[in-house]
Amino acid sequence: MALPLVLPFDLVVIGAGPAGGAAALAASEAGLRVVLIDESAAPGGQVYRAMPAGLSHSDGALGPDERAGQALREAIAASSVTWKGGARVWSISGRYRIDTASTAGCESFEAPRLVAATGAHERIVPFPGWTLPGVIGLAGATILMKSQGMVPGRRTLVAGCGPLLAAVAAKIIAGGGEVAAIVDLSSRADWLKALPGLASRPALLKQGINWFLAIGMARVPVLFRHTIVRAEGENAVASVTASPVDGNGRLSGGPERTFEVDSLAVGHGLVPGAEIPRLLRSKLAFSAASGGWIPVRDTFGRCSVEGLYAAGDGAEIAGALPAAITGRLAGLAAARDSGALDSARFEILSEVTLAAFRKTLAFSGAARDLMRPRPAMIEDIAPDTVVCRCEDIRRSEIEAAIAAGASEVNQLKHFSRCGMGPCQGRMCGDTVAGLVALHAGSREAAGYWTGRPPLRPVPLSMLLGEFDYSDIPVPEPAPL
Amino acid sequence: MTAQRMAGIGRGAPVSIVVDGSPVEAFGGESLAAALLAANIVQLRKSPREGGVRGAFCFMGVCQECAIIVDGTVQQACLVPVHDGMTVTLRGSV
Amino acid sequence: MKPAYDLGIVGGGVHGATVALFCARAGLKTVLFERGSLCREASGVNAGTLTMQMTRVALIPYALQAHAMWASAREWLGHDVGVVVCDGLSLAFTEREAELLTFRAGKRREAGAPISIISPSEAMAVEPGLSEKVLCAGHCKVDGYANAYLTGLAFRRALLEAGVDLREQTPVSGISREEQGFGVATAQETVPVKRLVLAGGVWLEDMMAWFGLHLPIKVLINQLAVTERIRPVMRTVVGIASGLLSLKQYPHGTVVIGGGWQGVGDRKRGGVELLPENLVGNMRLACHAIPALKEARLARAWAGLEAETRDALPAAGPIPGIPDAYICGSVHSGYTSGPYIAKLLADRILEREPIDPLFPIDRLLAPQDAAQATRPLSTHPELAGADETPHSL
Repeated sequence: MALPLVLPFDLVVIGAGPAGGAAALAASEAGLRVVLIDESAAPGGQVYRAMPAGLSHSDGALGPDERAGQALREAIAASSVTWKGGARVWSISGRYRIDTASTAGCESFEAPRLVAATGAHERIVPFPGWTLPGVIGLAGATILMKSQGMVPGRRTLVAGCGPLLAAVAAKIIAGGGEVAAIVDLSSRADWLKALPGLASRPALLKQGINWFLAIGMARVPVLFRHTIVRAEGENAVASVTASPVDGNGRLSGGPERTFEVDSLAVGHGLVPGAEIPRLLRSKLAFSAASGGWIPVRDTFGRCSVEGLYAAGDGAEIAGALPAAITGRLAGLAAARDSGALDSARFEILSEVTLAAFRKTLAFSGAARDLMRPRPAMIEDIAPDTVVCRCEDIRRSEIEAAIAAGASEVNQLKHFSRCGMGPCQGRMCGDTVAGLVALHAGSREAAGYWTGRPPLRPVPLSMLLGEFDYSDIPVPEPAPL
Repeated sequence: MTAQRMAGIGRGAPVSIVVDGSPVEAFGGESLAAALLAANIVQLRKSPREGGVRGAFCFMGVCQECAIIVDGTVQQACLVPVHDGMTVTLRGSV
Repeated sequence: MKPAYDLGIVGGGVHGATVALFCARAGLKTVLFERGSLCREASGVNAGTLTMQMTRVALIPYALQAHAMWASAREWLGHDVGVVVCDGLSLAFTEREAELLTFRAGKRREAGAPISIISPSEAMAVEPGLSEKVLCAGHCKVDGYANAYLTGLAFRRALLEAGVDLREQTPVSGISREEQGFGVATAQETVPVKRLVLAGGVWLEDMMAWFGLHLPIKVLINQLAVTERIRPVMRTVVGIASGLLSLKQYPHGTVVIGGGWQGVGDRKRGGVELLPENLVGNMRLACHAIPALKEARLARAWAGLEAETRDALPAAGPIPGIPDAYICGSVHSGYTSGPYIAKLLADRILEREPIDPLFPIDRLLAPQDAAQATRPLSTHPELAGADETPHSL
């Protein structure tokens, strides 16, 4: 079997959430030949994740996210965008060749421009018992409910920070599950402070108020300024203990409360993926407020590497609507840079989009503030708590590697295997960098994992397909 | 932890999958991770170094905790839809 | 300016670190400059293979000595680099490869490597995971691998224990000739040293330019890949006749696939890009050799930079015309042979007679550079014997 042909396009968009979807649509409307690639079967990303074929709301009732997702999927289907779902990008080379693998086989695409819109993943600061089955991410809980129509357990404790807490708790209640408690890092005062910003988008504020009403009606205890101190259970989570903290996330010594549960949904904010800019060695900058290391880019998402654009939560945590806008800006910029849009048209289109973007800033600022990292949580991780889930590396082993001279995260990885497992350091990266920064002086000094292909682990059987020995282009022998 | 199927959600035709030799019922369209959770199968694998029990964690393809052997290849249960006759091997410690 | 150090070393890979270690232990006050972290370039990202069957014939005697050093790293280095000594197989799948293998194994055997050609069933007994498509195999008991990413940690501990002034994250911008040695210029200060070793891997060409010498060094961009942990599927080091495969499964279960398939990069930017078709080719070769490997997932791929001189033999010895300056590096399969060749250079610096000849670089310099070179220490055996080292192989 020969290697696949390389299919030419004007623009490749990786990630089909709100950002990637909008980028693809904007660029294709401007006349670019666009291919949109995502590992999910349908566009939508995590926030607008489609219910898979076979599942549906019996009464046809859709929430705002479902409606937005459906609109996005319909727009993409009606456009000239080439959709490649269920495809895992495993290699990005040249300027730019994209190689994908899927159960249907391998494909290659080529375009002079690339939009990276791979979204964010959840920050979950380790605590004892966080590796137990039954402990799941807060965002993971929303996916279970939105796209699978399942509540995560019989009795779930919802913990962490940000608007997702209320969303998850309310959805569990609506879905017929029980919420044992909400354990929120933020205080009532933090929420009040966030209110004006949240009120800048009345529809979302209204949704939020409805969530809180549902939570109140169900008499769910809400523990403000608390954190999870441990989850316990034999082979799965059976109880969760919470304790009061200060605004920095440090235990304040107040009374502990333990809840019997069979499920814990926990999330401490979001971390921009930025894996493609990292892989392509585009310039990054650290911004705690934006979620971590983010690609340096202009207003339109143009990165320091030519032809690369970054948009959405993968570039900076802001939420779904801003993601759609930064995606559209990146799509417009790609069209402008390709010559498909003249400068006058580009100015008009981008000015309208930028104006819309400015209107979202107050809301996303408020949400981001609620989700901000609490540094003391990292400082206070217990020595025997597992930090790297893939390799079972504990805090004490990380500290030992730092003491042995690991001065930045990649050296730490060599010294300890921390971050070498199949999640490629995504789950532990933010925490590990925080731990190294305690010694190195700053997150900048602690650095970030060097980007390596594949973007996610790929089965060799999928990647290599069927082949004969004679098909392998073995290079000339090395000198004897 | 047993995930509860919500009322008011239309599901695909019932399918039967085989998990470590035992039949498990699910519905077409469901992801394998969700279907296992609904069947009260929460321990999917053991961590390789210490053999700690692990279950699905992020449900969005990132954490790799639900990487198990599906129809002979390692796949992430949260990204794979179930199909009738699917064979699943939960991974011991490797 | 009286030199503060007896010895300054520029470059903290296996070569520089080994020279530093032996010289410091012998009592020289030693400083080592590394622009990044110790052993984080080729010495830390290579495939870790310690094999004779990919080693150049001229280097076999060195590689045998070095293999013994790696195998006893706990004794002389004092720290673990995860070395596993095991059998090695070099496979032939076609008649042409069988011919190549037989010829090459013969030459390596003449040079001292205990390689024999074995049948498919014998090979299968050595490596039960092997493909049935093997025609014959070269079998060597002296083989194995290290965990390359542990190299930096091990050497770092050893160097600090030996009292080396270890200066990581300290790029050297140039060298000045001083009355009693050299000045090593860094962003912070110029450090006076009496003797100097340049051990900069692929960056040796730039370093030699500090002395106005042109030593061409070709940069190979070797692609590597590692799978996630899988059940045991193999127990030996497996290669192929052409040398374009190196394959082994570590005790923790990951399988590292290498063999020198090329990616894109240069010495300025490092290994910037992997070529997907070369990764696929390399991995297909690996799965062709060990079929069960197909069960695995590719977890990570990267590139390591390997230095190669014009004749693909090491640059290890005094720098012509510059008394007290030495070079060490560009050793083909440098990770395998590196510690021994670096130890020989340490002996030379310590004015002990090296047991085996070094690899002086006169042969590699442009004629005018070589002509300029006075041979201040021409009585030393490696210079006298230079022409007898089997370069022509």
